[in-house]
Amino acid sequence: MITDYLKYAIDSLMHRRLRSWLTLIGIFIGIASIVALISLGQGLQKAVTVQFEQLGTDKIIVQPGGTIGAPGTGAEAAKLTDRDLKVVERTPGVKDTAEYISRIGKVESNERNIFTYVIGLPLDPKKIQMLKDTGFAQPTEGRGLREGDIKKAQIGYLLATDNNYLGKTLKVGNKIYIEGEEFEIIGVSQKVGNEQDDSEIIIPIEDAKEIFKTGDRYDFLFVQATDAKEINSVAEEIKKGIRKERSEKEGEEDFTVQTSQELLESFGSILNIITAVLIGIAAISLIVGGVGIMNTMYTSVLERTNEIGIMKAIGAKNSDIMFIFLIESGLIGLVGGIIGILLGMGLGSIAASIAAAALKTTIIQAYFPGYLIIGALAFSIVVGILSGILPAMQASRLKPVDALRYE
Amino acid sequence: MILDYFRLAVSNLFHRRLRSWLTIIGIFIGIAAVVALISLSQGMQDAIGNIFASLGSDRVLITPKGMFGPPGTESSSSRLTSADLDVVQKTKGVKEAAGFLSRILAVKYADQVKYSLVVGIPTDEGLNVFTSLGQYNIIEGRLIKKGDRLKAVVGFELTKKTGGTFKKAVEIGKTIEMGSYKFDVVGVRKPLGNSLFDTQVLIPMESLKDITGVTDELSTIHAIANTGVEPSSLAETIKKNLRRSRNLKEGNEDFSVQTSEQLRETVSSILGIVQAIIIGIAAISLLVGGIGIMNTMYTSVLERTNEIGIMKAIGAKNSDVLTIFLIESGLLGLTGGLIGVAIGAALSKTVELVAFLIWQTPLIAAHFTWWLIFGALAFSFLIGTASGLMPALQAAKMQPVRALRYE
Repeated sequence: MITDYLKYAIDSLMHRRLRSWLTLIGIFIGIASIVALISLGQGLQKAVTVQFEQLGTDKIIVQPGGTIGAPGTGAEAAKLTDRDLKVVERTPGVKDTAEYISRIGKVESNERNIFTYVIGLPLDPKKIQMLKDTGFAQPTEGRGLREGDIKKAQIGYLLATDNNYLGKTLKVGNKIYIEGEEFEIIGVSQKVGNEQDDSEIIIPIEDAKEIFKTGDRYDFLFVQATDAKEINSVAEEIKKGIRKERSEKEGEEDFTVQTSQELLESFGSILNIITAVLIGIAAISLIVGGVGIMNTMYTSVLERTNEIGIMKAIGAKNSDIMFIFLIESGLIGLVGGIIGILLGMGLGSIAASIAAAALKTTIIQAYFPGYLIIGALAFSIVVGILSGILPAMQASRLKPVDALRYE
Repeated sequence: MILDYFRLAVSNLFHRRLRSWLTIIGIFIGIAAVVALISLSQGMQDAIGNIFASLGSDRVLITPKGMFGPPGTESSSSRLTSADLDVVQKTKGVKEAAGFLSRILAVKYADQVKYSLVVGIPTDEGLNVFTSLGQYNIIEGRLIKKGDRLKAVVGFELTKKTGGTFKKAVEIGKTIEMGSYKFDVVGVRKPLGNSLFDTQVLIPMESLKDITGVTDELSTIHAIANTGVEPSSLAETIKKNLRRSRNLKEGNEDFSVQTSEQLRETVSSILGIVQAIIIGIAAISLLVGGIGIMNTMYTSVLERTNEIGIMKAIGAKNSDVLTIFLIESGLLGLTGGLIGVAIGAALSKTVELVAFLIWQTPLIAAHFTWWLIFGALAFSFLIGTASGLMPALQAAKMQPVRALRYE
């Protein structure tokens, strides 16, 4: 029975091949653009999540400043000092704390100069180990910074591989000048995948304090909690501690304490809004495609009025007729969905590789989770059936006599 | 003759009213989306243009290089000083030049502390360079004047009764606290629709130096070109002079010199890319709508095969048949375009209204230019005729005998 319906629907679609194709195109264009956009959004989300996972769920980041303040913007009034560092280290539940300085500095070599991020890191072996565990500052060539290093620098991947930065690529053993001071290159950092991180230079914090004259000011405190499960209460305790030490009221902090989870969520929610807007706009084409299906189905009902009359005359019920037409429109949706998904996957991958090459980043990639494919397929079938409901109802309500007489 | 063609096309469209409507819906959805998005982005483009227009078109702006954040975030190590201002003032072609200093500071009002970008403007003769700027227009009270100390002009956001920077609105005559100094609020700035500007606090530069302990530093230098001097060539001269006084080679500048025009172009080119992506995605639905027209026209040709045969038999030329079908599809597109432009206009005006009620920003505004309306209509007509071309050619090439015999 059901196979008869299916065969009938396919027959009638094949009969008006051109029209069926054009209707299909209308659907798969919409599905393809939505699949491509979602896959890019998901890929970005996944790449960001992976980076945060590497950071670990037991990390807390303390930054100076209230609402304003990207890393390194160190506002005059808001600062983190040695006293804050002590407060954080003494907070129960805190295992290790690494303080660091992040500034934009003038870097010279081969008579060329650039302005890039210079990071001052503490050389305490425990602190270095903690940062290394998060995948930060892993050397691929040479070695990383270690206790006792003075005027040594570990340079970002791009400075060692791309001569657009400092005229010539730099090697371990070369000299560079940061803010006019001579540093020896002892290592090259692993590729991170974004230009800012891959062009930064890591130096001992004592040297950074000297060249940037920061006194006892830090730009970041990076905290590891003893127990990842207690992370939120540890963050709360740190907040309370610094507030007390600075005698500030709750809600008026001039510093920010965020767990790695919170950081990830704030990134994720911005990403979700952007993806939602783009998908919303792309979905308009799917509505238009749905209207196209409706049109095709109305035409189909009209052309087959006599046929419907005959079917009814020999005993077909209203529900049978309705079913036949719904299968037909659902089938258009399904096939449109399949082609659309394949096309969208191709499109997403191509867009991702072009963008990644143009922006020198590994963050942009297309990702196709199972639910995206199944969801898109289900959605296209639903669009097909919904668009077919009105025409199918019109067909099922035809009176046999009228339908037979229709020319 | 052409009138007859039109009458024929219109009566055909009316004959299959439902199908014509569905086809038109397919077009007007796409046109409405594109028109709404273009008008909104045009509005944003214009609003940003206004912000830059308030900068004047005869200015050259000099900033330290490597500043990624807004002025005053001072994460960069390079600085401009009064010596640089001297060099700029002495450059031939410069009418007037002055610099300002800015910092992010904690601003205290009514027991609340918030961080704001505080701009210190000169209170000597350099003040004129800034008072002439549209940016510093006042809606209430007065601007900083020569010889002022401990006076403040606040941005519009600070004076909002609800949803502003502070819980209690800042008013003229009240005092705000920065550092350990108390400032009398003497004026309120005109809102510019950009939170960066509208949350700023303007104070005399000497007072800002007192708070921050900065002795000789300028965040940005403004130079006004003499009448008849091209700002872009003046920028080159300033660059050369600064390079010489700072002893730097070409390409190694640690400062950047831009005309206000160049600054505006940079921003609008970024905005242009975002616009192009969004409108491109919306345009996909137009493509789908076009395919809908093609489908409708093929069906129409098929249904009227006999009619075409008769027309040809009584002497209609191929070109006549072609014209008849092209007019029909063009009409579908044009009607869709008319409705789409109307809906798109209504949609973007609604968005503008809602956005204004929620955020009170002039940045989200719908602007309609004649070329947008005519362009959209012409484009929809073009889509109609282009989609109808293949079906119309099919109709035109039919052989009369076969067409008459077709059932």
